[in-house]
Amino acid sequence: MGTATELLDDPAFRRLLRQRNRWRWGLSGLLIGIYLVYGVLGVYLPEAYAAPLGNSSLPSGLVAGLSIILLTIVLSMIYVRIANRLESSEVLERDRQR
Amino acid sequence: MSDSGPNVTAIIVFIAFVSFSLFITWWAAKKTRSAGEFYTAGGKITGFQNGLALAGDFMSAATFLGLTGLVFVGGYDAMLFTVAITVSWAFILFAFADRMRNLGRYTFADVVAYRLEPNKLRVLAAAGTLTVAIPYLIAQMVGAGALIETLFNIPYLAAVIIVGTLMTVYVVFGGMLATTWVQVTKAVLLLGGGSALLVLVLSQFDFSLNTMFERVAVQHPRGTGIFLPGNLYSDPVSILSLGLAFICGTAGLPHVLMRFFTVPDAKQARRSIGYAVIIIGYFQAAVVIIGFGAIALLIGQPDYVDASGRIPGGSNMVSVYLSRLVGGEVFFGLIAAVAFATILAVVAGILLSASAAVAHDFYARVIRGGELTDDTEVRVSRWATLIIGATAIALSLMFRNVNVAVLSTIALAIAASVNFPAIFLTLYWSGLTTRGAVAGGVAGLVVVVVLIVLSPTVWVNVLGNRNAIFPYAYPTLFSVATAFAVTIVVSLTDNSERAKIDRAAYPAQLVTSETG
Repeated sequence: MGTATELLDDPAFRRLLRQRNRWRWGLSGLLIGIYLVYGVLGVYLPEAYAAPLGNSSLPSGLVAGLSIILLTIVLSMIYVRIANRLESSEVLERDRQR
Repeated sequence: MSDSGPNVTAIIVFIAFVSFSLFITWWAAKKTRSAGEFYTAGGKITGFQNGLALAGDFMSAATFLGLTGLVFVGGYDAMLFTVAITVSWAFILFAFADRMRNLGRYTFADVVAYRLEPNKLRVLAAAGTLTVAIPYLIAQMVGAGALIETLFNIPYLAAVIIVGTLMTVYVVFGGMLATTWVQVTKAVLLLGGGSALLVLVLSQFDFSLNTMFERVAVQHPRGTGIFLPGNLYSDPVSILSLGLAFICGTAGLPHVLMRFFTVPDAKQARRSIGYAVIIIGYFQAAVVIIGFGAIALLIGQPDYVDASGRIPGGSNMVSVYLSRLVGGEVFFGLIAAVAFATILAVVAGILLSASAAVAHDFYARVIRGGELTDDTEVRVSRWATLIIGATAIALSLMFRNVNVAVLSTIALAIAASVNFPAIFLTLYWSGLTTRGAVAGGVAGLVVVVVLIVLSPTVWVNVLGNRNAIFPYAYPTLFSVATAFAVTIVVSLTDNSERAKIDRAAYPAQLVTSETG
């Protein structure tokens, strides 16, 4: 218990927490927001969603959905990389040695 | 369709899968001695293996067969499901992966019982696990029975008994190690089979999506109307509710949450869910394209689609028929066998989570207060598996005509409204108290059950009333909001002694959840 509260007073640990939370909620909010806007917008703009994209015969709404899936995959890969790099930050290494 | 007799390829591939999975179980049984090995394979699974297993846990027959059918019927609207599913896995990665791994040992109950009064929370979590796992298990088994009956000409009774017996054997003898490797094998088969189907479908259009979608618009009776939103859901509340069902529900599925504990640390936990997002996202995208391919290719073929536009055997059969059309009898057999293997692996994972809830959370922790040997706990888990497995077989035989979609909706909605709020708030809100968590969980459960009974799926389709009292298919928007509101209000007004302990323990939990 003693070490726990000690670590919370450590500015380096607080910085790490802030960094992690920024990524955690930034990316969650972004993706969930995009999904909800995408889903609800379809109710109001059905014609635009069914309209072909550019010169192709692919419906725009479908291409948009597939793009969101691709974006989700890319952002997840970036997150794993960044969050796992934070794992070897100095304050955590120090904590593990204790 | 099925008068050509049993498909030889299907039988060979299926027997090969079953033999291999029994070999895995035999190998795993020798390595499964302690409770840690039984529940979590000793935490020794790698991130990549676990990513495949997680994807396997989620890609049930419902996603492969059901979603292709949904595209066939609903067109664009099926996209709402595939995007919601992919985003939900990314959300689990961001919000749950590391903190869950660092706080838990065997089940998600370990996490909610970490700082709150353990016995009460474990009873709530065990109830939350069983009320999700049992309907889910029955939905899968009833669906499997019907599917196998159509595909292999095996009677329903025999099909359910084969699936139920195999899943029980995997879990009783091989625990999490066998379950994981069966799941990995199935995920590889499903990805391979799905990708091959995608390539074969695209080859029909010289690999041009443009040509394929032109053909979709020509073939479908509604023309480009199939690309319009609103074929399935046409109001914002339904869409929000559906999104929440997947985003909160997937994050509350006990067999998915249990997989966090099979890897050694938070790094591997993140990596495994990262892989799961890639695999699931890819597969969802593939399924959408296969579904539209089915519209382009199957409509107008009297062998597969009758004059009124219906598919004999139901829309679940779309991808199976499509595989026969583009790949012939051998490929059709392969896909049928893969669908069977998929169901087998999924039910094994759910069964393991249900028996962990009974044996670990309820018996070992609550009844025995943790005072029992490792050997005893493993023995109890094996008996629990056997009993739950037998019960699931019996229930699936009794409720053969149950609506599979209703059961799956109930399971996902309960996961979202009971398990998710407790886990989310205990991880991120220091003000949560035992009383608040229990009150919120009970409120969530009651609202889900009442709203589902009043919804079109039960009130109209099952009970035969003309108009539903609750007009939306998914109750989650209301039930999740209620669960959160009740949990927060009760926690804020909780002045008990226990509440002080709960709140005071948050800083220590926060540090452990971030450092491991």
